[in-house]
Amino acid sequence: METLVEMKDIRKEFPGVVALDQVSFDVKAGEVHLLLGENGAGKSTLMKILSGIYTPTSGRIVMGGQEYAALTPKKSKELGISIIYQELSVVNELSIAENMFVGKLPTKKLFSVLPIVDRAAYEKKAEEAARRVGLKKPVSTLVGDLSISEKQMVEIAKALVENSKLLVMDEPTSSLTEEETRNLQNIIRELRAEGIGIVYISHKMKELREIGDRVTILKDGRTVATKEMTEIHSEQEIISMMVGRELQSTFFGKEDVDYKPENIIFKAENIKRKDGKTRDVSFELYRGEVLGVAGLVGAGRTELMNAIFAGESYESGRVWLDGREVKIGTPYTSIKNGIAMITENRRETGIFPNFGIKENLVLVNRLLKSGWGGFYGMIHEKQDEKVAEKEREEMQVKCASLSQLITELSGGNQQKVIVGKWLAANARVLIFDEPTKGIDIGTKTEMYKIMRSLAEQGVGVIMISSEMPELLGICDRIMVMNQGVKKGILDKAEVTEELILQTATM
Amino acid sequence: MKAKNFKSYWEKFGTLAIFIVMWGVFAILAPGSFATSGNFVQIITQSATIMLLACGEFFAILLGGIDLSIGSVAAFTGMITAKLMVEGGMNPFLAVLLGAVLGGALCGFINGTLINLTGVHPFIITLGTQSVFRALTLIISNAQATFGMPKIFTQIFGGLWNGIPMAVVIALIVALICWFVTTKLTFGRNLYVMGGNRDAAWFSGINVKQHLLMVHTISGLCAGICGAVMAARLGAAEPNTATGAETEAIAAAIIGGTSFFGGKGKVPNVIVGALILGLISNGLNMCSVPTFYQNLATGLLLIAAVSLDQAVSRKK
Repeated sequence: METLVEMKDIRKEFPGVVALDQVSFDVKAGEVHLLLGENGAGKSTLMKILSGIYTPTSGRIVMGGQEYAALTPKKSKELGISIIYQELSVVNELSIAENMFVGKLPTKKLFSVLPIVDRAAYEKKAEEAARRVGLKKPVSTLVGDLSISEKQMVEIAKALVENSKLLVMDEPTSSLTEEETRNLQNIIRELRAEGIGIVYISHKMKELREIGDRVTILKDGRTVATKEMTEIHSEQEIISMMVGRELQSTFFGKEDVDYKPENIIFKAENIKRKDGKTRDVSFELYRGEVLGVAGLVGAGRTELMNAIFAGESYESGRVWLDGREVKIGTPYTSIKNGIAMITENRRETGIFPNFGIKENLVLVNRLLKSGWGGFYGMIHEKQDEKVAEKEREEMQVKCASLSQLITELSGGNQQKVIVGKWLAANARVLIFDEPTKGIDIGTKTEMYKIMRSLAEQGVGVIMISSEMPELLGICDRIMVMNQGVKKGILDKAEVTEELILQTATM
Repeated sequence: MKAKNFKSYWEKFGTLAIFIVMWGVFAILAPGSFATSGNFVQIITQSATIMLLACGEFFAILLGGIDLSIGSVAAFTGMITAKLMVEGGMNPFLAVLLGAVLGGALCGFINGTLINLTGVHPFIITLGTQSVFRALTLIISNAQATFGMPKIFTQIFGGLWNGIPMAVVIALIVALICWFVTTKLTFGRNLYVMGGNRDAAWFSGINVKQHLLMVHTISGLCAGICGAVMAARLGAAEPNTATGAETEAIAAAIIGGTSFFGGKGKVPNVIVGALILGLISNGLNMCSVPTFYQNLATGLLLIAAVSLDQAVSRKK
């Protein structure tokens, strides 16, 4: 089989991190090449290099007989590389046919001068592509009216229209039903038969065997192995290649938690969302422990916590704090009761970019001191300053002054300010959603220390994380979720990465 | 460091600087008539109604929204207040309280409720209510002006107090209250927080819908007071009064350095912004420039002021 693309010795550095190191990867015409690895293993980075979004620090890409040091998005397109991301990039407001031809609609001349869009021409081509991927709806249908699997087919058809030779699919089945998955696999087989090379990224062990020809496993930015699927004898083999890591010793000794009923700080029972993204999840949080929440993308971890903290899409379920039942309502009521959440998206839902560090620190404290649901109260600059200064010291925020804009701080220091904000508001339970996302290793370690010391002081700490090592390193127990359901709670004595993955995909 | 100092000075005094420079320019162009203390009072008087409207508009823009209905609300409340006195024979103070203060607040409350219920951008909702309130004014007045209001009303809301027009006194009191609310109360600080990052404000426990409702109520309230003042000064409630006044109020707020994206702005600067608008029309009058050139000047100034603001804030 002819080799379509070859990536040799790719290295990619980001400030402070080596995302890829000595990674080699190739795809042949007419094969399905599986690309596996945990979150953060470097799969996306590698694919972004292939699509020209990232420039590799070193290494070569050989395609079409030519060698490149880096691709641009345009060059990548020209070479026939198409990537279908997990978050589909179709435009809901346009029709199926228009989506396939976004940015390259064919034109004809009106009165031989005025170029206008040639609808008949592109709809005819679109119909052909739609037929190839088995899309049965008329091509004039708005994409917004399609199901997710149909949208995905539109994306594949779009790649066909572009005469792509190489198709990368990033977790294509994460939101598909079993039948839709089978249908997609049939399409993939047909494309393979036509000589198209396919890179297939997935976490679902079961489907890999059915579809894959070869497999490459990445781990911490390095290639673990590239093998023919015929050489692989069990799923277990793949999992241990993905995981097989010595735990770094930089993590922290864990408290001995006394799991007595009277030590329960926080309890949630049968939390159910209207949109079905979490169903009947119950858990308990004990004094002194850090409870981890693990799961793959779409597991419903953030959704669960948002329902509890912000009442988002909340349908039913109850929560208790220190043995007292607390009503689920708005963030304000939760905060008033001592429940706080550090959201995943720091920029969008965490910081106030138009304010300095001081305001960001004291905001909630002041809100709670004010009457009428945070409406009515006077500003006391002196008091605020004291509160802010105390939290700055406690959190060891590195800044020139409290009046410095928060946007001038590093991600890690911003995160510390946000934690400080909640501590100033006397939070009893802190929910951290991916607290170390996008912060450097040094600050990560500090965040871990902060979480552990909060737990020791009796504050309840819950951490949602997609990074296995940090879950294993600092959590006392780990709740594993999948598709909105709790799959189990694993104790630190038994937990391994393999067990988490197995529990999740059970 | 130097650039940063300049930036912070500009944010504080930029609007005032524009005002002083423009005043200087007109003082040179029309020295005899412009640069007199009498004319200065005249400028403030001319700007008083815009100040009132701009105070309310400032709140709406501070949240990153807008209120396009305030001109219509002013006409509507002015008409109701006049009708209550002239046709209902109501005590003028009670009429102002019911018609202008409560009436204006209610109009704003309706705006806020509609925005909260529909989730539609305030621009669209208040564009709609702009027409609705104007139409209601025309309907209740039969498109006729209402005359013959009690003398005590026209004197207190449109007369002079120690030689200073009451309109100015009222505008300054309202501005002072607005300044207090935005700088000294948690409510006011919450508005800046919300304007800076609405989602983060929600996750930090600020009830964003309640705050938005309150903001539009305040905006309507200011417009209502303005409506009473306009009717008193004119001695009549005109159904077509204050048409397009919201654009001037928006201009005053923006020239006063309020960020259209929300989260930034100060009441005193907005007042100076309103004064600048008054100064332009007064100064050009003094230089015998026809009215339509005044619009040209206002428009160009708006663009220039905002561009300058952008250029300064981009400096790091």
